Amino acid sequence: MSNLETLMVLVPALPLAATLITAIFGKHVLKARSHWPTVLALVASCVCSVALLLAVRDESQRVQNPKAGWEHTIDLWTWANIEGAIAPPPAAADAMVANVMVANVADAGDSVGALPEKLPFRIDITLRADALSAVMLVMVTFIASLVAIYAGGYMHGDPGYWRFFTYISLFVFSMTMLVSASNFVLLYAFWEAVGLCSYLLIGFWFEKPAAVAAGKKAFLINRVGDFGFALGLFLIWTTYGTLNFHDAPGAAPGVLGQLRASHPELYNIVPAGVATATCLLLLMGACGKSAQFPLYVWLPDAMEGPTPVSALIHAATMVTAGVYMVARCTPLFALSANAQLAVSAVGALTAILGATIALTQTDLKRVLAYSTISQLGYMFLALGAGGFGAVVAGMFHLFTHAFFKALLFLAAGSVMHAMGGVIDVRRLGGLRRLMPTTHWTFLFGALALAGVVPFAGFWSKDAILTVVQERSHQGGAYALAYQSLLGISVLTALMTSIYTFRAFFLTFYGPQRVPHEAAGHAHESPPSMTLPLVVLALFSLGVGAAVEMRHADVSEFLGSTPSLAAAFGQATEEHGALAHLDVMITGTAAAVLGIVIAAFLYLGSASRAEWLAEHFRLLYRLSYSKLFVDQIYQVLFVWPLWLLALFSAWVDRWLIDGLVNLGGKIPREAGALLRPLQNGMVQFYALAMLLGVLALIGNMLFWP
Amino acid sequence: MDETALLENYLAVGALLFGLGMVGFFSRRNMIVMFLSVEMMLQGVSVSLVAWSRYHNDWGGQMLVIFILTVAACEAAIGLVLMITLFQRSGSLDIAVWQRLREDNLPPHVDREVPELPDESRPEWPHLTPAGVEPAPDLEEVTHRSHV
Repeated sequence: MSNLETLMVLVPALPLAATLITAIFGKHVLKARSHWPTVLALVASCVCSVALLLAVRDESQRVQNPKAGWEHTIDLWTWANIEGAIAPPPAAADAMVANVMVANVADAGDSVGALPEKLPFRIDITLRADALSAVMLVMVTFIASLVAIYAGGYMHGDPGYWRFFTYISLFVFSMTMLVSASNFVLLYAFWEAVGLCSYLLIGFWFEKPAAVAAGKKAFLINRVGDFGFALGLFLIWTTYGTLNFHDAPGAAPGVLGQLRASHPELYNIVPAGVATATCLLLLMGACGKSAQFPLYVWLPDAMEGPTPVSALIHAATMVTAGVYMVARCTPLFALSANAQLAVSAVGALTAILGATIALTQTDLKRVLAYSTISQLGYMFLALGAGGFGAVVAGMFHLFTHAFFKALLFLAAGSVMHAMGGVIDVRRLGGLRRLMPTTHWTFLFGALALAGVVPFAGFWSKDAILTVVQERSHQGGAYALAYQSLLGISVLTALMTSIYTFRAFFLTFYGPQRVPHEAAGHAHESPPSMTLPLVVLALFSLGVGAAVEMRHADVSEFLGSTPSLAAAFGQATEEHGALAHLDVMITGTAAAVLGIVIAAFLYLGSASRAEWLAEHFRLLYRLSYSKLFVDQIYQVLFVWPLWLLALFSAWVDRWLIDGLVNLGGKIPREAGALLRPLQNGMVQFYALAMLLGVLALIGNMLFWP
Repeated sequence: MDETALLENYLAVGALLFGLGMVGFFSRRNMIVMFLSVEMMLQGVSVSLVAWSRYHNDWGGQMLVIFILTVAACEAAIGLVLMITLFQRSGSLDIAVWQRLREDNLPPHVDREVPELPDESRPEWPHLTPAGVEPAPDLEEVTHRSHV
């Protein structure tokens, strides 16, 4: 096992080990030290991820065929194998007949033998390393390490301390496996595993009915998305004859593999309808996990969980799984312009919806939750713009968003920690003197989220606006649609900076208001909590500019991913990356204007905001009530399902159970017919004997 | 008298005894009378056995009858003991007292009450003012006949 492979295994294995250790020893041995295994494992895993990223970069620079990209896979063991499950798909069969395959094998530097007549349904536990996975791994483990350190302070004294860290490391294991998976089934399995961890952590304080309900809601809504995802996988299986990402020996060429990347004209022969359907089903899965319209309603409720969970799972990592999946499946989406527009439209709609609702929420964590939904919408908007630049922009925003959104959540958690659990911005105010570190770090996060110049969010949001604008300038059928999506996204940028700074000003400025729950012990949080805040704040400041400086290198690096290699090749042929000054100016103007509006409304007297709410009562009510989406779903889905459930219960109770009880009643009733014969009269028994004897004699006489 | 006619006569007597015993068993409710009826049925069978034995010139049948008589003596002793015990328990020889073997949810068999005679057929006797304590009604007497 080479150095690289050791790293690939270690990254998920360390959190798994931490899970087992805290699960077994946490309750009775480790107790208040339960965070140590998790923190150590996650930091080690993060170091391994960085080393892996560097190794992947070195390897990918030595790649021979840039069109095929670079990837490395290791098969750990075989999970399932059914021989002769499906005939090879026509495209691969044609290629084989034309004997091109053999030539390609040498070309792609892979060892694909001749295909058998029937392909097996074979699921290997295969880990992969490529640029996209490596970036995701670094992001996940880095944020997770900081959140784990923070949680060590935040969760201090909680009765479920060991349970919390068990779940956290289990989550990191699942998430690292999700991004390392080289197979759709494995991806799906860990997709479900992160959903499980999310469910467990939302319902972490399971004595609270609201937390239990929120966990259930998240789980059920994710089922809807996963249903679509599963159907998408079935369609991929029947279309491509394999569920592997990579080209495995003895199987059809991988769905996102190097053969398809380097020879799209041979392999990517998929009917347009099938391609669109596959992408839409995958999008449905992504909508569930990444909280996109119409399946976003679980995310705001998920804030019932502990704040570090909100930061790690429901802002930075798990919810980006859908974005990762769509980015990973770029070659599939590239086949269908309709599906791409659907991705963009869903993203833009979600972005503006989330921003609209976030404008008036009073719960700081809810504001951030709707902001997460909105920003995830941005990422989908970018991914749907198509082409390599779009994927880079989407992944870039995913990367920067993870830092500043985790920062904002952790800062909100710090406020909550100091204020005795109060998070309602109406009851807070002027905390900047009480909590200077939290104030400054929150400010950095807010500036990044709003997209002000040197901060991370500016660069990634600018990249997104740029790709959408480019897409609309390309012309084609949907130019106008993308033009309007661009308008929506600029409007969203304006609203983003308004609601971010509204929350910021209400919490940290104005007259000092400390809720009575925190009376006497309102304080800055301990160093274990402020240290991660400071680190994240520095990253929120610098990471965007750092990536932007080396934009070409980063593009080339991400372009070495096999599933992105084709798009990368196309992009470099067309044009290089150009700075779009107009977009930059528009974006910055929107951000600054938003901050000014927020300052005008919420700094100083509260009367201006109240005046606005009074005069736009309808809009205010709509936004404050979250556009009544929950209520609409209640009527449209929950009640019919409730009726169906009642009906089913009735059928079960009276029809199914009735049949079973009938089976038991038949012997009893038949017995009741004969029961009067047992009347206890001796003479009746004698008479019965006589009659019986007579019957026997009669039988003998007349039917000998 | 030829052998067949003799056999038929004996068999007729046996059947008559058996039938009378059976009718007695079904129609009477006094345990001792019922017991006597059963004995009569047994003797009817014994008579037929003797008759067939003579008819076939086989002494086995008559030997069997001797055995039956012996066993019947024992059985009579046991049966009488049982009846005495039952009588001591219930104070009555009515077999209908012992109907507890019936199913739980079936009503007990109760004798039909005799309708009271119309008033005009009963002469008007002068009657004294009741005095003393009225004895508690005997449930057994109400539900079952006191004499059989």
